[in-house]
Amino acid sequence: MPQFFLNKRLIILLVSIIILVALIGFSLSGRSKLSWPEQFIKDTTGWVQTAVSRPTHYVANFFENLKDLQNTYTENKELKSRLDELARLESEVQKLKKDNTELQEILDIKDSLSAFEPKQATVIGRNPDKWTELLIINKGSRDGIEQNMAVITAKGLIGKVKNSQPFTSTVQLLSSMDPTNRISAEIQADGESIFGFIEGYDDEKGLLMMKRIPSDAKVKKGQTVISSGKGGVFPKGLLIGKVVEVAPAEYGLTQTAYIEPGANFDDIEHVMVAKRGSVQPDIKDMIDDKEEEL
Amino acid sequence: MRKFLLPLLLMLFFIIESIFVELMPPKVFGNEYILVPHFLMIAIILLTVYGPKNYGVLYGFLFGLLFDIVYTEIMGIYLCLFPLVAYICYKLMKILQTNIVMVTFISIVGVALLELGAYEMNVIINRTDMTFASYSMDRLIPTLTLNFIFIILTVYPFKRHFEKLALSLDA
Repeated sequence: MPQFFLNKRLIILLVSIIILVALIGFSLSGRSKLSWPEQFIKDTTGWVQTAVSRPTHYVANFFENLKDLQNTYTENKELKSRLDELARLESEVQKLKKDNTELQEILDIKDSLSAFEPKQATVIGRNPDKWTELLIINKGSRDGIEQNMAVITAKGLIGKVKNSQPFTSTVQLLSSMDPTNRISAEIQADGESIFGFIEGYDDEKGLLMMKRIPSDAKVKKGQTVISSGKGGVFPKGLLIGKVVEVAPAEYGLTQTAYIEPGANFDDIEHVMVAKRGSVQPDIKDMIDDKEEEL
Repeated sequence: MRKFLLPLLLMLFFIIESIFVELMPPKVFGNEYILVPHFLMIAIILLTVYGPKNYGVLYGFLFGLLFDIVYTEIMGIYLCLFPLVAYICYKLMKILQTNIVMVTFISIVGVALLELGAYEMNVIINRTDMTFASYSMDRLIPTLTLNFIFIILTVYPFKRHFEKLALSLDA
């Protein structure tokens, strides 16, 4: 028996299991910031990644362009037919924009939840083990990117900033399974909007799940889902996707809508990080100081 | 210069894995298979088999840590799995004979162990709700096929390079 405990290998094994559990627990503890050695390592590898991934993307894009050239003729025809419609739409948008600013001036509204500052960034890496869907982008806290900001592509919302280092940041996609991944969203219906939360992703169907929709709300197929801006960090009006299917939730008190995401989560190269324009009131300002003194 | 060649080579595979996932089309042969490259693991296994003693486990540890910090942001999973798989392969190689077919077989077993280990860990920490049946059909088998092709393509160049390295260290 004593020999069993003196076995060097066994001790190494036990110690490493303890370290392993401690490290995983530490990483999952929901820390708000990465430690500085981690930040340093991430930024350093970020430079190497940029150096390698940019040229490869150029080569890949070149071949993609060649492929696109093949269907240029048919595409061009189709696009021309849509052009007339576009001109009409554009004038309408102009008119509505003007109306909107005028009305806002009358009502004296200075900032709205939907105002945001987009910041361009390029994807330089992606988590190769596909358990947690993470992207690495080439802008960091030096460029004003902070934790929990919304990340969008031209086609819609894709995720949020998980961590930001000085020169790079990590983006967590909506498709990754994480209980803290929750976005306040609204379904645009005629008349009134319906509110709920985007929580979770159905891997087999490739659809996002919008939960906690009131059971009496009438959600229809094909309705558009946007971010509601009520969660605090995300601006309002970012496109998320379209409703595909509605099902009652587990206990029948609420409904779950399945949403086809507008953005493609697999092919992402350029993203925009949306910094919300309107200022969030600081919690310190909301607390009445006098009460504390009592 | 020779000294830095090995870390640089492994670093290259470390980055290629990420680029591979970025450029990979989502649908392969009309099915939504999840293809996960484990090129770095293969390089480390072959380093354990052909390279100088203990190098595989050491580099497995270093690159496991790097992988966890940079890619997964959950420290511990690959930090533990990379050296463990390298060590198991090292022990297996002592029992079995070192011919190239056997090494290919051992490498694919190593990759399978890594995949299964990562799956189990992710189930334990509740980061996936995939059932084992759908995991093995959609992810494990396609992944092993992809990595098997990679092993067949690279086993010979790796063998030559690592054997040379072991010789230069002995001399």
